Amino acid sequence: MTAPSISGPITRSRADRGGRFLVPLVLSLGLISIYPTVYSLYMSFFDWNWGQRFNFVGIANYLDLASNELFRTALLNTFVFAIGAVGLELVLGLGLALVVNRLGRGAGIIRTLLLIPLMVSGIAVAIVWKILLDPTIGIVNYGLHLVGIGSIGFLGDPNMAMASIILIDTWWQTAFVFIVLSAGLQGLPREVLEAAEVDGATTLQRLRYVTLPLLRPILIVVLMFRTIDCLKVFAIIFGTTGGGPLTTTESVQILAYQTAFRQTNMSLSMTMMVIFAVIVLVVVLAYLRLGVTRGTNL
Amino acid sequence: MSGGTPSAWRLGRRQRRRIGTGVAYVIAIGAVLLTLFPLYWLFVISTKTPREAFETPPSLIYVPDFSRYFSIWSSAGFGHAFVNSIIVVIVGVLLALLIAAPAAYAMVRFRVRGGRWLRLWLLLAYTTPEFLFVIPMYVLYQQFGLYDTQIGLALIYQLFAVPFATWLLQSFFEEVPQDLGDAARVDGCSELETLLRIYLPLAAPGVAATAILVGINMWNEVTIALSLTFDQGRTVTIAVAGFRGYAAIRWQEMTAAAVTAVVPMIVFAAVAQRYLVKGLTFGAVK
Repeated sequence: MTAPSISGPITRSRADRGGRFLVPLVLSLGLISIYPTVYSLYMSFFDWNWGQRFNFVGIANYLDLASNELFRTALLNTFVFAIGAVGLELVLGLGLALVVNRLGRGAGIIRTLLLIPLMVSGIAVAIVWKILLDPTIGIVNYGLHLVGIGSIGFLGDPNMAMASIILIDTWWQTAFVFIVLSAGLQGLPREVLEAAEVDGATTLQRLRYVTLPLLRPILIVVLMFRTIDCLKVFAIIFGTTGGGPLTTTESVQILAYQTAFRQTNMSLSMTMMVIFAVIVLVVVLAYLRLGVTRGTNL
Repeated sequence: MSGGTPSAWRLGRRQRRRIGTGVAYVIAIGAVLLTLFPLYWLFVISTKTPREAFETPPSLIYVPDFSRYFSIWSSAGFGHAFVNSIIVVIVGVLLALLIAAPAAYAMVRFRVRGGRWLRLWLLLAYTTPEFLFVIPMYVLYQQFGLYDTQIGLALIYQLFAVPFATWLLQSFFEEVPQDLGDAARVDGCSELETLLRIYLPLAAPGVAATAILVGINMWNEVTIALSLTFDQGRTVTIAVAGFRGYAAIRWQEMTAAAVTAVVPMIVFAAVAQRYLVKGLTFGAVK
């Protein structure tokens, strides 16, 4: 809900007084969001390698990236990852929320325990899974061996690396989808669900025609935050594969990091990020058009 | 569902429901085990000897060795990084509250002109991919001596901390009865006094929860810390990865460091448990 509307003659002066309270916010956001954006945009028209050379090159960086195989691969990987991870997390998180919603005693403690991965940093998550998924010493492969499946390379196998990263993110972030949808389920009007049950609707029918439509606004909020977060993926890749093997897990942010800090090609990495920020912006705006923020503080 | 007497039908439904609940418990407990096992394993590796840690089949019964939980502090700059993280989090959280509290207050109490655009700006700031601003800030920080400093990190963390804190504080401020604020104004309080004396104290648990959640996010941040620090300003998350060593990864130290970095966050989350849902949902769930 937004601020309750204030009627009467004081409205005007109140609106004026509110402005002062926003000055720190506008200053801080202006400094750390507008300035870097403008700077990146400006630099994307130059050729600068952190050295003396500083030439205006027009849109050469953009043209370069348009035909850059690696950048295209990174974009594709990023979206494959985002779609895979968000899809899996949505299905598992929703399923888990529905399941836990049925529980009586112990639901609270189960909910709390399920949230723990969200308190773990991406680097720690990467370390955990590097150990678990190791082809020779990892316990996952040991478990697979016990049930008669041969060793799987996981993060080291070009065909399995992306799936492994998606698996890791799913372990890490499904809890977010779960907790938000749990809260959403608890807020649903009980009478409607009971009425559907009395009318003889099966569990699946109730889910399809009552629960999911009522959850729609909150589902979109969850989807938006997970999608954006996944598009920005960095830590779990940096800590496991670093973009490899070959370029199979190279994401846009990993590539931008390598380009800026390993090759010191500052202007090219900034150009990448300008393009990518526009893509992310389009995704955010698309979600907003779906009415994400209605009834929230966002 | 069709056929049978009404009482038989009711019994069938109740039984089915009981079975369903049983299945639900099995699934939920399975999910909890899958969730916790990787972290349990992290702890196990940190307390085994290098030989024990990776032998197959893994030994389930062993004598845990906690020595690395002591030795890591003087190794790979971990102790220094731990202190750095505490400084960054405290300064960063205070700054975030200082900026977000008045903003949230204004958004809840007044009809702010251009409020819609401000909200959009907050969302866009929050969703910006990190490297769009990290690379320019790297250049700027190099020039102003803020590179590799705690204060530099605390400053830039505002980009995600302020939107997050503003959303959360708004949802907590909304629970303060509007009448109380109005009464304070009638009694001669300025708007600032109303915020400080009515809203902040009444929403204190929410403010504390906001601080904790923002703090956890800063503590766990990787992308920005990795790019804008190197040695002196390095945070604990980055230091954990630093146990990679030159020749071989020092798994025992690395896992012990990871556990040491994670446990305080789980404790803090437990403290803020009641407000966790609101926090994790950005105050979006009412």
